[in-house]
Amino acid sequence: MVGPIYIIAVALGIAFFMGLFGKSLKNLSEWAMLAGLGFMTYVSGQWLLEFMSNNRAVETIFTAGFKPPYSINLQMGSIEAFFTFIINVVGFLGAMYLFKDLKKTGPNAMMVYLVFIMSLNVVVMTRDMFNLFVFLEVGSIATAGLILLTKSGEALQAGMKYLIATGIISGVLLIGIIFAYYFSGSLNIDDLLAANMGASKTTVIAVFLIYVSIILELKPFPANGWGIDVYTAANPGIGALVSAATASAGFYVLYKLLPLGGAEWLNYIAVIGGITFVGSNLMGTKQDRPNRLLGYSSIGQIGLLMMILGLSDILGEKMMIIAFGILISHYAAKAGLFWLSGLIQAKDIKGWAALRKSPFLLFLFGTFVFALIGFPPFPSFFGKWELITTLAANGQWAWMVTILAGSFIEGIYLFRWLGYAIKLDHEDLPDFKIEWNKIFPIWIMAIVLYAVGVYVTPMVEGGMFINYLPLMFVLFLFAIDFLPVYIKNTISIGGIIWYMFHIYPVLEGDLLRLIFAGIFLVGGVLTLMAGYSKKGTRKGFYPMAMMMFAGLIGIIEASTLIEFFFSWELMTAGSYFLIIRGKRSMPHGYSYMLFSIGGAYAILFGFALAFASNFDTSLAALGSINLLPTLAYTLLAVGFMTKTASLGLHIWLPGAHGEAESDVSPMVSAILLKAGVFGLMILFLYMDRTSVGATNLLYVLGWVGALTTLMGNMSAAFQEDAKRLLAYSSVAQLGYILFAISIMSQLGWLAGFTYTINHFMFKAILFLVVGGIVAKLGTHYMYEMGGMIKKMPFSFIAVLVSIIVIGGIPPLSGFAGKWLFYNAVIEKGWYFQGAIIFFAGIIAFLYLFKLIHSIFLGQLKDNHRNIKEISAWILVPSYILIIGIMIFSAFPQYILQPIGDMLAPYFSTETLVWEGTKATTSLGYWDGTTIMIVVATAFLLLLAWLLALSSKTKKIEQFNIVFAAERPFRPETTHVSYNIYAGYKKALGFLITPLVTAFWESMSNLVLEFANWLRRIYGGSMQNYAIHVVLFIVVFYLIALGGL
Amino acid sequence: MDYSITKFLWTLLGLFIVTNWGMLMSSTMRRIGARVSGRIGIPWYQPWVDLVKLYSLRTQLTHGTMFYIGPVFRLMGGVGMFLFLPMVFGNPIWSNYSFSGDLVLILYFQFFGMLGMALGAGEGGQPYSAIGISRGLSQFTTIEVPMTLAVISIAIQYHTLSISEIVAAQQGGITTWTLWTNPLATAAAMLSLLGAFGHSPFNLVKAPNEIPIGPPTEFHGTFLGVLRTNSAILHVAEAALFMNLFFGGATSWFELIIKTFLIYFWSVFVGTVFPRFRIEQSVRWFLKVPTIIGILAIIIFL
Repeated sequence: MVGPIYIIAVALGIAFFMGLFGKSLKNLSEWAMLAGLGFMTYVSGQWLLEFMSNNRAVETIFTAGFKPPYSINLQMGSIEAFFTFIINVVGFLGAMYLFKDLKKTGPNAMMVYLVFIMSLNVVVMTRDMFNLFVFLEVGSIATAGLILLTKSGEALQAGMKYLIATGIISGVLLIGIIFAYYFSGSLNIDDLLAANMGASKTTVIAVFLIYVSIILELKPFPANGWGIDVYTAANPGIGALVSAATASAGFYVLYKLLPLGGAEWLNYIAVIGGITFVGSNLMGTKQDRPNRLLGYSSIGQIGLLMMILGLSDILGEKMMIIAFGILISHYAAKAGLFWLSGLIQAKDIKGWAALRKSPFLLFLFGTFVFALIGFPPFPSFFGKWELITTLAANGQWAWMVTILAGSFIEGIYLFRWLGYAIKLDHEDLPDFKIEWNKIFPIWIMAIVLYAVGVYVTPMVEGGMFINYLPLMFVLFLFAIDFLPVYIKNTISIGGIIWYMFHIYPVLEGDLLRLIFAGIFLVGGVLTLMAGYSKKGTRKGFYPMAMMMFAGLIGIIEASTLIEFFFSWELMTAGSYFLIIRGKRSMPHGYSYMLFSIGGAYAILFGFALAFASNFDTSLAALGSINLLPTLAYTLLAVGFMTKTASLGLHIWLPGAHGEAESDVSPMVSAILLKAGVFGLMILFLYMDRTSVGATNLLYVLGWVGALTTLMGNMSAAFQEDAKRLLAYSSVAQLGYILFAISIMSQLGWLAGFTYTINHFMFKAILFLVVGGIVAKLGTHYMYEMGGMIKKMPFSFIAVLVSIIVIGGIPPLSGFAGKWLFYNAVIEKGWYFQGAIIFFAGIIAFLYLFKLIHSIFLGQLKDNHRNIKEISAWILVPSYILIIGIMIFSAFPQYILQPIGDMLAPYFSTETLVWEGTKATTSLGYWDGTTIMIVVATAFLLLLAWLLALSSKTKKIEQFNIVFAAERPFRPETTHVSYNIYAGYKKALGFLITPLVTAFWESMSNLVLEFANWLRRIYGGSMQNYAIHVVLFIVVFYLIALGGL
Repeated sequence: MDYSITKFLWTLLGLFIVTNWGMLMSSTMRRIGARVSGRIGIPWYQPWVDLVKLYSLRTQLTHGTMFYIGPVFRLMGGVGMFLFLPMVFGNPIWSNYSFSGDLVLILYFQFFGMLGMALGAGEGGQPYSAIGISRGLSQFTTIEVPMTLAVISIAIQYHTLSISEIVAAQQGGITTWTLWTNPLATAAAMLSLLGAFGHSPFNLVKAPNEIPIGPPTEFHGTFLGVLRTNSAILHVAEAALFMNLFFGGATSWFELIIKTFLIYFWSVFVGTVFPRFRIEQSVRWFLKVPTIIGILAIIIFL
């Protein structure tokens, strides 16, 4: 074992050596620096390994031959080993990244760099208060020196502000140390901690001064303008160090000194951390300079960590895993992001669109963003999960809200940024050089995130059940992403089919899950089949699609809360990348993501309440929520409703589905939305529905469902864009489902299942076919289409069957849903909601007619005369689904009877009785098979009759009509499609005034404008920042000690 | 469930009766309309003459397959409604195939013919057709609101959706009719009926003198013959539906003829008095008084 003292010795030695012989060393100095940093990394890594593998005692290093308090002592325990290791790793990688910059500046810069890293090591290891102060100073001065690597006025100013601010802080710290020494007679930290200085009114001043200066070192909001400016002006390579290394060291110092003042001080730390986390992220929302944005995010994350420290007595033993998960995610992601920023060198986050030129770097960027927000499989996901559940277990609602609100605000700017990088139209993307010494460190940080994520999974309660198998498949698809579409498509389909066989025995006997697994997996295979019509490599599509399906199936398989939430987030991430692939999808992917994060946090809150009720990690915990049950149910329902796009939470859907690629739309519409339905069903089955809260919630959701349907159908009727029309139709269909299952009776749920299955089938067909047509004709607008029946007869039949199902026209299966609805509504007594549902159902005919008429009927346009039928790869899955519809229509009992039996135990009365093919309720009866036979026979007889009567018909040309007393010749002026429901709009259009959109817009404006107003405190002048620091101290003093 | 040939033949006979009664009823109504405006009107046998002429025209032009089968869909709509509706109460022969579905089936089967016709007319490419259809659909959404409320109201009242059972519950004299036992639902439905039958002021779909005759503009010869046949059946079937729901049903064909005539006459009577609405007026009209009556018809049961 190499002693920890060598970390310091080697760094100092090399630095001195460079100082003495720097000029004559020439090219050797940079290698010497790297070697030194490598050695330091090795030493700390070796200690870390030692502590991890052997249960070794803490190593204490005494200097100068005396024992403390007469001399300085250092300590190397498992935590010190961890912190020095991560500091040295980022130091080493950072040096590699800055290799050329350091080389250009010469040995002096390298010396400063070495001293900087060394000082952080000492700050972590030292157990002497004064020594801590000295090395904090050394670190500050070295940082200021490193800032000046960038030769600009801005950097000079930033360095100066940094020095002034840290100067004030050090002064305060020094006074604090003096007091501490005076009161306790020792400078040794252990002695100081034992002195219990917080207890007395006189000694507490020392505690205050030390705390306030350490907290100020961590750049608390709002006294942190000087810190932000450093991030903005410094070389991003330095930003990475400050964010990853300095902040980690500072965090550890606070951790080390936490017992200094006693429990009451923890509250102040937590509050300051909370304010910093929310405030700093809020500032980020109006920021468009990448480095400054990263600065806000860094400070926000450190605020979160500070808050975790402050809450340590509440979090108990969970504190370690929480802090570790969040710290390591912040550390790796922030370093990676700063380094990426240095590569791109854009002044504006919009310039990050350039990243698109290198899909691999884009992938890294996505990794970092998702890790920061706390998506699985990153460590922050587990950290946040543990944090929220532990807080819930202790009834800390306000903290939970603070954390989730801050995280959400962070999502606002991070996903805007990611969206720009993936999709923003940017005319001349700046070129950037890819240098390997710069890429490698970024790479390592991404690997760290994934590896640590998998590493911590089993440490979380219930985490060991998480199934990483589907994720391995995703990884494999990433690896073969360079292959052509048909190979990857075949592999993906094969993977899903294999999983079907794998999962069937697991789910056998659980019909509810089996139905949804069927929708997800069969739907996956069918929608992927359409992918064969695409050419090229379709980079990134397959891993993301499979990630979504992995998430979807994970939800089905989940038996614990964390598995469910893990899969839910995975699905969200996969679907986000699928949605944003569309040409004009940037804003829609963004709003999808924001609603998804908001929804996910609502679910997380609900799950945390469920867990905290009985400390049960299984999904069954939802059944015995006794902590704020109504709030928990409501939050969970709202969370799931962000996916089902119910009224109020629907505004992301039309754009997201409408602008997605032709085979993505059916995936996200026919399949993905059902995840929300599944969530709601699970919730409704588990929850205590006899409680007043649950009854009221269901009543409200019933109304929400009915109004969603009305709004969705009416909006669909006024669309000109074919895919948006279908998207609004999805909103409405999901409204039906929400309404149906809110009824909470066997009939209601049967209606819900009928709608779920039908919607899966017809919406997949419609989006596939219409998407194919849109792609073929090159326009979304229906009025630019027309007469396609002659060119695409198979598509026409597919669409016709689908619209008959949506309309609920007998004899197809849509009628089953309508019939069940009438019975369920009257049985339940929800007459007025029911009347709205039926009213909405008839409005559906408006858009159905518009859809089929505008595309297929009417006048063929001149530029479409040579168009052919859409690809067979789209038609084949559609016709397979049509066969499904036909079977469901003719033999509904085979599907509905088992579902009814499955539901029977959940609902007190079994109201639907089957006698062969005939279904009977207390109200009415319906025989799908007979209706099918009667209608088919009669139709064929009538057709035969017409054929017999008019055997000699002559086909005529397109314009062989008389309209307005002349024979028309221009299809554009003869095709009736644009705004065909103008009269209806005049009469009832006011019902769909976009109030919800206006509400969310004003909400977002409120947040942004508030952030903008708040931002003015960062005036930029040195005096202001110094005053902020002083005011912070004064205010903190007045609150903590001044009796305020 | 009876799928026998005998059943089929009886049903066919019923269809024949209904078709002929429908044609006679329409010529009578046209004569009444003519007398009101001071004309003599057509002879009572004019519909049969028209039908023979239409079916025997030599020139048959078609715009395509959907255009061709559109009228078949339309006729199927009328025939299907007849098939699923019990015509004469207490006689299994005239209950047709109503054992396969209840009132909800009838309500939704209406759309079968409408949709097919809309698509057939759409393929013709005639703008008047599309305009007529868009008006029809718009208007129909709100026509159905009071009707739905009325249906819910009587479903609560009788606790059934089976038409036969609703008729059975009304047996025993005029005072047991829904008309007396639930006048609000009847009123809402009868106002909705005005729209459903498409006479003035709600004749927006065909709107004579405005968009020639709307959806059927391009249809002629046999196609038009099929459409005429359908309207004869449909008028009787729709009137029979209202008869069954609100006016005690019919225990004999004679009773059915009297009642359907009067129900149909109600819409003609209103039609001769009021001029045509504009689309937005019509759409809104049904959401005002008729809907309020419909809501009241439910509130009384709460």
